[in-house]
Amino acid sequence: MPLAPVNDAVTITELIDNPYPFYRQMRANSPVVSVSAVNRVMLTKAADTRAVKDDPETWSSDDPDTPMKRAFHAHTLMRKDGEEHLRERNAMMPTFSPRNLKTLWGPAYEKLAGDYLDRLPKGEVVDLFPTLAGPLAARILADILGLSEASDDDMQFWSQALIDGAGNFGWFDEPFERVDRAHLAMDALMERKAEFYRANPDQTALSVMVNADDPIAWSQIVANIKIAIGGGINEPRDALLTVLYGLLTNPDQLDEIKRTGQWGSAFEEAIRWVAPIQVSSRRATRDTQIRGIDIPAGTVVMTCQASSNHDEDLFEDGHLFNAFRARNPHQSFGSGPHHCMGTHLARMMLGKIMLPMIFDRFPNMELVQPETVVWKGFGFRGPLNLPVRLN
Amino acid sequence: MPRLTFIASQGTPRTVDARSGDSAMQTALAHGIDGITAECGGAMACATCHVYVADEWTDRVGPSGEMEADMLEFAACEVTPTSRLSCQIKMTEALDGLVLYLPEAQV
Repeated sequence: MPLAPVNDAVTITELIDNPYPFYRQMRANSPVVSVSAVNRVMLTKAADTRAVKDDPETWSSDDPDTPMKRAFHAHTLMRKDGEEHLRERNAMMPTFSPRNLKTLWGPAYEKLAGDYLDRLPKGEVVDLFPTLAGPLAARILADILGLSEASDDDMQFWSQALIDGAGNFGWFDEPFERVDRAHLAMDALMERKAEFYRANPDQTALSVMVNADDPIAWSQIVANIKIAIGGGINEPRDALLTVLYGLLTNPDQLDEIKRTGQWGSAFEEAIRWVAPIQVSSRRATRDTQIRGIDIPAGTVVMTCQASSNHDEDLFEDGHLFNAFRARNPHQSFGSGPHHCMGTHLARMMLGKIMLPMIFDRFPNMELVQPETVVWKGFGFRGPLNLPVRLN
Repeated sequence: MPRLTFIASQGTPRTVDARSGDSAMQTALAHGIDGITAECGGAMACATCHVYVADEWTDRVGPSGEMEADMLEFAACEVTPTSRLSCQIKMTEALDGLVLYLPEAQV
């Protein structure tokens, strides 16, 4: 069998600006393709990305040649498999239990969302990225993790530093130096807070992990809190901006949803349409094949869920925002053992709380010059700005 | 090969062959049963393969485990005493003829 065909035409700049035309071409002509610009074999069909993630024995999450370990100063649970991964994941799980979501984090988010919306100026143009989506995502995450003392700006700076470091495939100095500075601040705060939680346990992630009967190593507690910081702000932020854009540019759908209350469907559609996390990677643990293409052991594949979410086999007009799809089996939360831990939290925060609240408060919110909204990102993607007038 | 019947929320039944050892969720995916989403692929990290076990089968299928019961609280539809996550129901010859009702929605 042949190896994956090589594409050295597409550039990283094109992928960052808009990867969807490339994905559409690849799904049609070359769904398993070795892309020189990212040095990975890309999988672009929904059946393939799903099958890979659901088979962790063939497909390890440990991708050894990424800057992530350097950026995180550790090997985090994202890159572990089997029992080792499960133990670390379970250490944080109690924080995200249904009961905690219902009794603690839901009410906390509702209060915060109300406060942040109160602060927004009415009648003038305001960009919801820096005034609402970013800081609110940072605030609730800090509170859930047990790092309330961190400011919104601290959280966003740390998160971006971790992301930029983990994505620093050029191995430049600046992103690593920046993330090193972030580590100093994060480590100091976590040590102080761990001390506090030993005496005052609660349901926050840091407290739950520190006070467990059989706690995981401190180095892993710290590393996994950082994974949550690196991965827990941009997704809800980008999902909120994306769903607002989708609804405000499709007023018919917005009107219908205001009538029916299907805010959850709008949220699901937004993260299908533009997945906040667009790609993931897995390493073949043995020689295998996908669609008749040989994948030798050790090959790192990129599962492009962004592409799977537009796959013609599953979605009609996948490039269009349509909150009323009869079926929406998107893969934006991933699948298999690494299925997003924040799934239920995200569905609750955005679908159940924020969307009805923001349109109740500003029923005539309008997007100002939609053509000025800039979308960017290959690994993570969302709008960089969302200028609206709140009425 | 145990047979397994899924009854959709609108009442349409579909009977399929299961491989012994597969979960009811895997059987549903293998046969393209619409009402099972199974977002996490059986890692018990979501509640999108929720089913209601037919009354006459509940004894043989058994109740949900502790973690499963916790996770069921995330289910999109009402959880009843016969609710299970189908990823946790292992198909064996003893379950030949099993009937599972699908909820209206999984998300």
